[in-house]
Amino acid sequence: MARYGMALDYKNCINCKACEVACKEENGVLLGADKHRIWVGVKEIEGEFPLLSIASNTFMPSQCQHCEHAPCQEVCPTHATHYDENGVVRVDPDKCILCSYCMNACPYDARYVDDRTMTVDKCNFCSDTRLARGETTTACQATCPTKVRIFGDLDDPNSEISQVLRDREHFSLKPHLGTKPKLFYLI
Amino acid sequence: MDLQKIIPYRKMSLKELLVPENKLMALIAIVLTALFFIGVIIYLIHGHHAYGVTREHPWGLLIAMYIFFVVSSTGLCIVGSFGDVFGFKDYMAVSKRAIFGSIITILSGFAVIAFEIGHPITMMIYNVLSPGLTSAIWWMGTLYGIYLTFMVIEFIFLMRNDMKNAKIFGLFGLLVGLAAHSNLGGVFGFLNARVVANGVFYPTYFILTAFITGIYLIFLMYGYKYRGKPFPEDVTKALINFMKIQGLLLAILMFFETWKMLTGVYGGMPERADVIMHILHTKSFWLGEVMCGMVIPFLLILKSKGTAIKSMVWASFIGMIGIFYMRYDLVHDAQLFPMQTLKIREYQLPPSFVDYFPSSTEMMIGFGGIGICLILYFLGTKLFDLDSMPEHH
Repeated sequence: MARYGMALDYKNCINCKACEVACKEENGVLLGADKHRIWVGVKEIEGEFPLLSIASNTFMPSQCQHCEHAPCQEVCPTHATHYDENGVVRVDPDKCILCSYCMNACPYDARYVDDRTMTVDKCNFCSDTRLARGETTTACQATCPTKVRIFGDLDDPNSEISQVLRDREHFSLKPHLGTKPKLFYLI
Repeated sequence: MDLQKIIPYRKMSLKELLVPENKLMALIAIVLTALFFIGVIIYLIHGHHAYGVTREHPWGLLIAMYIFFVVSSTGLCIVGSFGDVFGFKDYMAVSKRAIFGSIITILSGFAVIAFEIGHPITMMIYNVLSPGLTSAIWWMGTLYGIYLTFMVIEFIFLMRNDMKNAKIFGLFGLLVGLAAHSNLGGVFGFLNARVVANGVFYPTYFILTAFITGIYLIFLMYGYKYRGKPFPEDVTKALINFMKIQGLLLAILMFFETWKMLTGVYGGMPERADVIMHILHTKSFWLGEVMCGMVIPFLLILKSKGTAIKSMVWASFIGMIGIFYMRYDLVHDAQLFPMQTLKIREYQLPPSFVDYFPSSTEMMIGFGGIGICLILYFLGTKLFDLDSMPEHH
């Protein structure tokens, strides 16, 4: 039993999108702009030349926040969305009825429809691919050239993620909603 | 088994059953139903790609039409309950027709939603095997299933003029229907990610607008039945009473809406204020919801002091257009604000609201549901005696 989370040293992101590609490759996510489990958000540079705000130009990698109080899990009428033994929020495609309620309930826009199964899909920290094979990293983490992502067990005090969360300030997205995300953005 | 012993109906040949009473209405019903089936075929071939829904706007016209139908059903159940559940004699004349209407409208709603839910059969299985008790959709769907059962049993007893049993099942049907319908409001009200929908407003608003819809529909049903003829005395009495109640309900609705908008804008709460301001700049709100749904019928009721029941039939038709816009807008408005446009941190102004316009397939299935409802209604009016007063037997 673990309690998996991910820390993102997002200021190191160079927007190469290798993580998006690796995720699609590893998990067999269909091609297409709206079919993605993870993404890198780009904020355009503000201001007009020569008064450009370099600081405003940020890249923000993101994905399912694997909330401890996941709204998508609460609203699922058939328990298709559930927490697995490692606290990962997952979808059981056999039980998913594609009512799309979870897509509406997710505050992070982290869900999309997989056209092959016609069920809702999302990031599951590579649980049925890499973790199932006994590996300890996710595809997005393993491929990142600037080491933005740190994945690991939040319950293990000696894990890299636990150490970095102890050492560095961090924030999570939309904390006011009480979802308790397990994705942490390092400042 | 003799069906006649279970539910009395008029025996007639298939030809008699299918001969239309009014050719124009029959044509409208058939065309709409044909469109429904064409839409269904396109959906079965292309799946959700045939719809205009997107990742950011996963609910569209079909959800709105489902709500439109189930609001109508709950409303007709409330209207019908005045006579046969609560025993108010003045309303007894419309009970049978209203309860029949509540059954066919919810069936039409189920027909529409069956092609929005991706896996309706899986839903029926796992609703039972793996119930998500924290989900408003689970409660709404399950309670509506029970509600439909009660309403059918109530209708059977009404047809048999067994008022005692009709009253018992009608009461349970009404209570379960109100619970189901407020849960449908809860489907939106529970969403803390959707600030404009979150809260107590929708569960209560749904019940209020259901009652209003029920009254509009009862006017439409009797207006059609007695077109070009005066209403009978007992129906007149019920309709005048309902028209006066409608005046009060519309006044309450306008009061609710005013405060929803004021509290939404005041203080400028992020997301909510933006969406409310956006709503206040749309024609569908002002012309559809406000003018058609509330103001025009309200002014007629005020001007005639609640007596112009023939004009109210037309006002009810306009009112139902308004009710459609209310349903469409509430689904659309809830999803207007992008969750993470540009996928950036929250509380930065979004460059735009989420766009959605229904595809032709969605329109065919959604509006085609009205055709199914009309056909069921015409068959019902031929097969069943929806007018006889129970106390006369």
